[in-house]
Amino acid sequence: MTKPLLEVRDLRVRFHLRTGIVEAVRGVSFSLARERLGIVGESGSGKSQTGRAILGLTPPPGEVTAERLDFDGHDLLRVSKRTLRELRGGRITMVMQDPKYSLNPVMTIGDQIVEAYRAHARATRAEARDKSLAMLEAVRMRDPGRVFALYPHEVSGGMGQRAMIAMMLVTDPDLLIADEPTSALDVTVQMEVLRILDDLVAERGMGLIFISHDLKLVSSFCNRVLVMYAGRVVEEVEAKHLREAQHPYTQGLMRCLPSLTEDARPLPTLQRDPSWAL
Amino acid sequence: MLDVQNLHVVFGSGRLRVDAVKNVSVGVEPGGSFGLVGESGSGKSTVLRAICGLAPVAGGTIAVDGRPVPTPRDKVFYRTVQMVFQDPYASLHPRHTVDRTLSEPLAIHGEKDADVRILQALREVGLGPSFRFRYPHQLSGGQRQRVAIARALILRPKVLLLDEPTSALDASVQAEILNLLDELRARLGLTYVLVSHDLAVVAHVCDRLLVMRNGETVEETTAAALRRGDAENEYTRALILASQGFLRTRESAPTALSA
Repeated sequence: MTKPLLEVRDLRVRFHLRTGIVEAVRGVSFSLARERLGIVGESGSGKSQTGRAILGLTPPPGEVTAERLDFDGHDLLRVSKRTLRELRGGRITMVMQDPKYSLNPVMTIGDQIVEAYRAHARATRAEARDKSLAMLEAVRMRDPGRVFALYPHEVSGGMGQRAMIAMMLVTDPDLLIADEPTSALDVTVQMEVLRILDDLVAERGMGLIFISHDLKLVSSFCNRVLVMYAGRVVEEVEAKHLREAQHPYTQGLMRCLPSLTEDARPLPTLQRDPSWAL
Repeated sequence: MLDVQNLHVVFGSGRLRVDAVKNVSVGVEPGGSFGLVGESGSGKSTVLRAICGLAPVAGGTIAVDGRPVPTPRDKVFYRTVQMVFQDPYASLHPRHTVDRTLSEPLAIHGEKDADVRILQALREVGLGPSFRFRYPHQLSGGQRQRVAIARALILRPKVLLLDEPTSALDASVQAEILNLLDELRARLGLTYVLVSHDLAVVAHVCDRLLVMRNGETVEETTAAALRRGDAENEYTRALILASQGFLRTRESAPTALSA
């Protein structure tokens, strides 16, 4: 078996608060090849904290420990801060939920992409500009030259998210972590953005971790799905076999969704079993 | 019960003028449930706000229970029509207990036996008396939304306007709230107007619906038609398709969950 791109073993994220210790992630393990992995969970499941821990973006007072957190031979918990800065944004990048909050509001879109590129590659301003324009074209922006000079507030949500994807792919990373990349977008725009992401990930042979609360979306987009509950992975299943998922939480989550094709009345609700959180 | 004809809502003027709602008509019979579906900027929430007097009506008529609504809206209106908002974290006063939040509408309308009514309201939304003196930060999102619904129902209105009542909630909590809304409508004979971007939610809660885009009506249809995949308009069809999850058009696609 080829060496995995990312290896996570017993990842734990704890927050030391005045009121006690909150364990957001409690022993998550998985490996990732150059494939699409979905991490699904409701709020408080620890899915976002898992993504952030991989990139070293856990906010203080968070504490990250793991038996292994390896990216392509680098021990992410023990590399120097400098190496982590090189990896982050260069070989591992992250697309976050709302471009309104994740893009720099006082820089033009073009300047931000150029900045991201030049932080990780030796390039002249002209070369970086060309690369950024090419990236804007790759995310199917109409009139990339015009969008280059616009500020984030001057573009729609869908365009902002595509700009974010452009910025996160301009350094040709090996792994992209997308945390609810389309949740803030209208549903027709979501599909457009996902299509672009899908093509780019396939073209570049990248690994993708897609974090979302939307089980249906994740299972239709990814190869494998991890279902998280209370900081743990309760199920790991191939997307195409989701229907045959074993864990009652996964089953319950699927059944409680209203759907256009079925008319279950009342909707089955989730009966939370305290043993799931153990 | 609710009759909106040719509603026109305009914000601002001159260069900054925005026609948020253009010529929209909505009719809901007593006990009926009507949905307004659309993406951001479609004007669906603005229609609800216009009904309540929270958005400037530039044209058209609004009548509730056969009576044209006065501007500004009066107490009779608010006894008849109430609204549940989207964000359960923003619609409850953070420094008021649940008890205070629920007593306010009663006090405004001079209702007596607040004690009994508050406990009854909590029971109706599935919350026990132990929730009465909690603060919003001591409640989960689903619990807060139940309080918002209790507040809306405490005056026994006939019409409930629901602005994306479950969008901010987790899927499992959403199912509970949708079931609660179903049950309340049947038991109390309520009339609903529900705004949502989620077609599955609208098909579950509503009988009939209006698809809106850029302030205009695109298509008026039924939940039954949506379930059959019957749509006249291309935009409606696009919405139905998008609600099915991601469909990969390339080879070796993981099969979409067709729920």
